[in-house]
Amino acid sequence: MGKLEIQNITLDYGQCPVIKDLSFQLRPGELLGLVGPNGCGKTSVIKSLSRVLFPRSGRILLDGKELTRISRNELARLIGVVPQNPYLPETFTVSEVVILGRNPHLRLLSGESAKDMAIVWQAMERTGITHLAKRRIGELSGGEKQRVTIARVLAQEPQVILLDEPTANLDICHQLDILDLITSLCYEKTIAGLIAIHDLNIAAQYCNRIIMLKNGQIHAEGTPEQVVTAENVREVFSANVTIYRHPENNLPMVLLNGNHRQQKYSSKEEKVVRRFIPDHS
Amino acid sequence: MKYFRLFVAITIVGLLELTSCSQEPSRQTPSSAIYTDDIGRIVQIQGIPQRIISLSPSNTEMVYALGLQDKLVGVTSYDNYPPDVKNKTVVSDYSTTDMEKIVNAKPDLVLADSIQKNDTIPALEKLGINVYTMTPGNIDMFFNNLKMLGRITSKTKEADNLVSNLKSRVQAVADKTAKLTDLQKPRVLFVTWHDPIWTAGSETMIQYLIKQAGGTNIASDLKGYATITLETAVQRNPQVIIVMNSMGTQNISLDFIKSNNQFKSTDALKNARVYEIDADIFGRTTPRIVDGLETLAKLIHPELFK
Amino acid sequence: MNDQNTDRKQSTIMINNHNESVAHKTVRELPAYSSRRFLRVISISGLMLACIIISVLALTVGSVEIPFKTVWQILISHLPFVNLRGDWSSTTDMIITGIRLPRIFMAGAVGTALGVAGATYQGLFRNPLADPYLIGVAQGAALGAVVGFVLPLTFGGSYLIPILAFLGALAAVSIVYLIARVGRTLPMTTLILAGVAIGSLLISITAYLTMISANKVHGILSWLMGSFSISGWDQLRLISPFLAIGLVVIFLYSRQLNVMQLDEEQAQQLGINVERTKIILLVSATLITAVAVCFVGTIGFVGIIVPHIVRLIWGPDHRLLLPLSAIAGAILLILADTASRTLMAPAEIPVGVITAFLGAPFFLFLLRRKKKAVF
Repeated sequence: MGKLEIQNITLDYGQCPVIKDLSFQLRPGELLGLVGPNGCGKTSVIKSLSRVLFPRSGRILLDGKELTRISRNELARLIGVVPQNPYLPETFTVSEVVILGRNPHLRLLSGESAKDMAIVWQAMERTGITHLAKRRIGELSGGEKQRVTIARVLAQEPQVILLDEPTANLDICHQLDILDLITSLCYEKTIAGLIAIHDLNIAAQYCNRIIMLKNGQIHAEGTPEQVVTAENVREVFSANVTIYRHPENNLPMVLLNGNHRQQKYSSKEEKVVRRFIPDHS
Repeated sequence: MKYFRLFVAITIVGLLELTSCSQEPSRQTPSSAIYTDDIGRIVQIQGIPQRIISLSPSNTEMVYALGLQDKLVGVTSYDNYPPDVKNKTVVSDYSTTDMEKIVNAKPDLVLADSIQKNDTIPALEKLGINVYTMTPGNIDMFFNNLKMLGRITSKTKEADNLVSNLKSRVQAVADKTAKLTDLQKPRVLFVTWHDPIWTAGSETMIQYLIKQAGGTNIASDLKGYATITLETAVQRNPQVIIVMNSMGTQNISLDFIKSNNQFKSTDALKNARVYEIDADIFGRTTPRIVDGLETLAKLIHPELFK
Repeated sequence: MNDQNTDRKQSTIMINNHNESVAHKTVRELPAYSSRRFLRVISISGLMLACIIISVLALTVGSVEIPFKTVWQILISHLPFVNLRGDWSSTTDMIITGIRLPRIFMAGAVGTALGVAGATYQGLFRNPLADPYLIGVAQGAALGAVVGFVLPLTFGGSYLIPILAFLGALAAVSIVYLIARVGRTLPMTTLILAGVAIGSLLISITAYLTMISANKVHGILSWLMGSFSISGWDQLRLISPFLAIGLVVIFLYSRQLNVMQLDEEQAQQLGINVERTKIILLVSATLITAVAVCFVGTIGFVGIIVPHIVRLIWGPDHRLLLPLSAIAGAILLILADTASRTLMAPAEIPVGVITAFLGAPFFLFLLRRKKKAVF
């Protein structure tokens, strides 16, 4: 039903290991957030879960079966990945790209049936791109292309969805729409979702659990309240922030401090800085 | 019962015999003959060919030389001798042949060149057309070809006459040059192109002609038609330079040699012994090659041949 | 938190109610693949019909004048169960059925092979400039052929040159593949670079061999420029099985080719065994190209132009692109061959020259068409 177990995996691209001895679980119905500084291995984890990158040691189990024992086609029906910067062919129309998501469900010589098309349409509706159905990819904005990819993954009807920075190019409305969509999918269809994300606030608001990685290992794991703390942010991101609680749902929110490293300026620099940050003290 | 089996066996054998009889290909009738052409193909020709197609200019000239022009129904676009050939139907341009025109001309003999052995000749064979290939590499093979052609077309008398005539002319030249010592035989450089210099080495007709005409080919250490560097050519100090060209067109190679500084140091240029010869005569192996030999002898040994 | 949960529940309900209206809308906006079959059948059979008409017309022209009615009668008389005797000579019959007809079929077969191979290569490399000769087929075939011209070999009889050309093509591509392979993967850019490098090397060897055999230059040049002048039924019989196998395999992978238009990672995540698909398609496309080239010489532009034209009109779905490229390629080459043997009869313009004549203006046209991206 979509339960992923990662057991002691080590990932590397040659010599230096990116992920060392990592273990965690992903359960259906929950959205797990993977946060950490640049280069901490978030993308590598996602690649290993979709069998693009093979762990040097350790194993990954999906519903108790080892990932390597599952055929590629079946894996595609179970796990869907929204990559960070996916390439999309310029001259395909949006619907043609989303239709590609049905590939794992089609047999060798069959085309897409009406049911397949209904699923494709529904995926496009949920991502709000039905008005773009006949447009070519080359004419779309970055945000629209991202939604196309998400629709394509939704058309795959996977049980596990892995998203690598899915909100990077989106404006705030679409960011929230997508996140609402993903959480509702996780909830209603009991899909397991893993989202690698920069934005700690989004992670805190939407994820049931968060894993914070540092140097390829888990630094903190737990609910947003447990993980998104000022000490964790300082230890992992080397950033001094203030943690506030959201007035409505009490989830942690990261508030930025200008000049977070508290640098000392010379009097000349002070004058310049003061001009841009009037309330600097 | 066993007689029945015997009866069946005999019937089957008899039927097989009958079918094989009817399938038997052209039985050798008294009027068909078998020849082997220059590339080793076995050619079977029935009767005397009445419609001949020639696929190379040299073959065409040989056809005319034996007086067979009335039977010539197809020529190539490069054929230009004798002038009468302009009235004949063109069926090929020497490397691509027009199969439709050939078939339409209903030939019973096609004279081909070995250059066509990979494509045209097999294609003609598959269409059931007789092909005889003539590619003489030296003058003896050429005389043999003439005699063969005479035999095939039942012009043996004309062929023999022609061959003996040509042979005596060749002999006349050889008689005069045989007595020459090596020193008396001038060093000859033969040129077809100048950039790079293409010349004729051993095992070419040109080398044979130069030798017969009483000269020494300075490129005889090369094999076949080959290139030679300018420096080597000049260093070997030719006394006579022969440049081959299509008559009527500008002889670029000749102009180059005459104006080139390094060549100016050679004996040939110092004594103004640079000559132009006709590519149609020297590039083809036809009866006119003997004309060519006589011309060459006059150029190399003007003192012996008036 | 509780508010959030209620919100979530509400959105679920909305989604469920939505489902009924989805079905109607979908049929209108996104018809299923099977219901678009009618359009596909019309396109394919329409193009096929055009091909047949053009072939028949090509049959009626040639350097020997044969009236249209006679051609028609000869054709019909060869159909089974038809007993038609006419006033044409056996020579005329031979010209139609023994010279023109196999030639047209050969042109069609080669055009089909090049069109499909070109479309496949363009899909595999995701590059609009890819053509069937990208990774060394043409250069290998040329070298093989020239070796056959130059060395005094005798096996195979009249099939010596085609056999060597075929082997040369396959050998060249194999070398390129072995160089470009990295472990168990085949990076496409490395493949192109290796193809260019090996191709240049082969060309220089070919040029050298050509240069040292002055008396064979004419024949070699003719072969390199490509010609259908000596096409026969036996050649067709030889290439048909290879062509059939290659085409069938490629057509089976049409949908996979669609998916491969995303990057390799996404294709893999969608269930495609990318490495295996690459190899199978490369081998098949190379096979049909090699077999097309070995009898006829290398004919350019067909492999590049035809898929682009088809894509412009019918779109990038390979399930339609591949069969239509096959037929369109056949049509183009039959037209080009007809032009080559009639424009300057009895001399033949090499087919490669005519396709280049058509190709150059087409590329210019492509470049100017910026409004609608072609690839």
